[in-house]
Amino acid sequence: MLTNYTIEGFENIQYQGYEALFYIQSKLRNLYKLYGYHQISTPTFEMYDLYAAEESIVSDDLFKLVNHQGKVLTLKPDATLPITRMAAINHKDPREIIKFSYLTNLYRNFSSPEIIKKEETQMGVEYFGNNNPECDGEVIEIAINSLLKCGITDVHIDLGHVGFINHLLNSLNFCDRLKGELFQLIENKNIGDIAEFLEKNLVDKKIGHIILRLPKLYGEPKEIFEEMLSMCINSEMEEVVQTLKSVYRHLEEIGLGKYISFDIGFTNAMNYYSDIIFKGYIDNWGEPVLNGGRYNHLSEKFGIKRPAVGFSVDILKMMDYMDKNALLPEDNRSKTAILYDCDSKVHAYKLADNLRTKGESTELFILKVDPIAFINSQSHNELYKHTRFFLMEKNHLKVYNGKDFIEIKEEML
Amino acid sequence: MKIRFALAKGRVAKKAITLFHELGYVFPDYSEKSRKLIFTDTTQSIAFFLVKSPDVPVYVATGAADIGIVGRDVLLEHPADVYELLNLNIGRCKMCVAGIKNKSLPPGKKLIIGTKYPKIAKDYFCQKDQPVDIIEINGSVELAPLLGLCDLIVDIVESGATLKENGLEVLEEISSISSRLIVNKVSLKTKTKAIKPIIGKFDAQQSFPER
Repeated sequence: MLTNYTIEGFENIQYQGYEALFYIQSKLRNLYKLYGYHQISTPTFEMYDLYAAEESIVSDDLFKLVNHQGKVLTLKPDATLPITRMAAINHKDPREIIKFSYLTNLYRNFSSPEIIKKEETQMGVEYFGNNNPECDGEVIEIAINSLLKCGITDVHIDLGHVGFINHLLNSLNFCDRLKGELFQLIENKNIGDIAEFLEKNLVDKKIGHIILRLPKLYGEPKEIFEEMLSMCINSEMEEVVQTLKSVYRHLEEIGLGKYISFDIGFTNAMNYYSDIIFKGYIDNWGEPVLNGGRYNHLSEKFGIKRPAVGFSVDILKMMDYMDKNALLPEDNRSKTAILYDCDSKVHAYKLADNLRTKGESTELFILKVDPIAFINSQSHNELYKHTRFFLMEKNHLKVYNGKDFIEIKEEML
Repeated sequence: MKIRFALAKGRVAKKAITLFHELGYVFPDYSEKSRKLIFTDTTQSIAFFLVKSPDVPVYVATGAADIGIVGRDVLLEHPADVYELLNLNIGRCKMCVAGIKNKSLPPGKKLIIGTKYPKIAKDYFCQKDQPVDIIEINGSVELAPLLGLCDLIVDIVESGATLKENGLEVLEEISSISSRLIVNKVSLKTKTKAIKPIIGKFDAQQSFPER
């Protein structure tokens, strides 16, 4: 009896898909290199404690395993944490500028909903040691270009800042549970329930009124700035507005302003983010394809004070989008297969070598059956759909024309 | 740019369609008996389709629909990554725990709960540290305790008439329920210009009277 070994949430990548994935990877690798980023890689396993202490990811969502020493390990659920640690170990001087890029698979054991993939492939960059708005701008610029360079044009970047909400809520002295609950409501723009929540928890009327305006704080940057300024209750919040202003002004100056909109009401699941955060959307695609932000305090956990900003793009989602919108190049390179008999082995191998040197994909098959029977046996095989078949019999070369083999001069190939 | 609505079949859809008319949208193809699946208004600016209520958050979360109208009970039972933008205050009722009238239950004992909403029931009793076994039932939940299938039920209660007629009573209220306008997280950003005025109209009509 055949057993079904498919695991929910994981999938194979077919050869057509892999070709597409490789296309995206090489475009992005090249892009990141041109901006001066060095590609690195970190282990697939991480210590469970690293993530448990960070509280960014619910520990139920981690794939855990125990090694031979009894230590609890986890499949890497996030790229930023290990890369920050790597930068901290190898670069002790906090003033050093470090630019890393990566390509990695990530694993999250999401309990629901069922359609979410548990294995993701991400590419991205991390920029350490620079706290200027221009540095935030560079990372956003690369994020936008990651999509543009692959032919995706309807790009939207949603820019926010975790500080605005945090500095507002700090004045309320909520416990973590209540804060989490309120964040969730703001994140889902659930205005009706926010009002109920504020009433239940006796939030000061003035602050409550400002909180209720947060979910509507999205759209055109210029309108949002005015709105934000009128909501500030302390100098920290005013600083946040200034930071966002300077990042936006920079992006506008380098001609990327049209891609940017604001949403001050979004929080991010990863609570290591300390300043700006952003998400990237494509028109008519129901979910974000990229996200990122600044995390200025994460490196302190590894002993070095070092500001940092980065982003990652989900390249499997990109692949799905590009496939649906016919943005992927078709693989129509010609392929060759040579069938040879025992007498012609040396000659056939030489010919194949010549063709491969010219860049032609060439396969060799020794003849055990009638050549036409062999070709017919592969006629339904998608992998040999665009293949030219040659026959090398007694050192004479023939080409298959769909029916028969006809003589052909080797020089004509 | 056309905005697509997913509506939960039944009372909520009827109210929503009445609301569309009041907002000035005309759907020439629509009648209650129509076999068509998608209806577009004369200005080509909105289209709606009717689906089973638990499917509404699915259509909206994946972006197949931009906006959905569905009861909060469904959102609590099938959480989805969407914006729960407006409380429309229609289809108001309460999620309750109910049981046979005047029947006392031994404290601390494990209870058997019959419900259409296993997740809501589990979350509620889990938070109270009350041990329970949950049995999922798909209709006429009031029948289950009468036949001894379960001790208590968790269900939505509107007037309480069905409970009363069958000798049941509400024991605890879990939360209040009403219809919500939910929006896909990306659509709200990429189609802001088309969606904002529609939401604005719904918002202005928010407290429209129950019919």
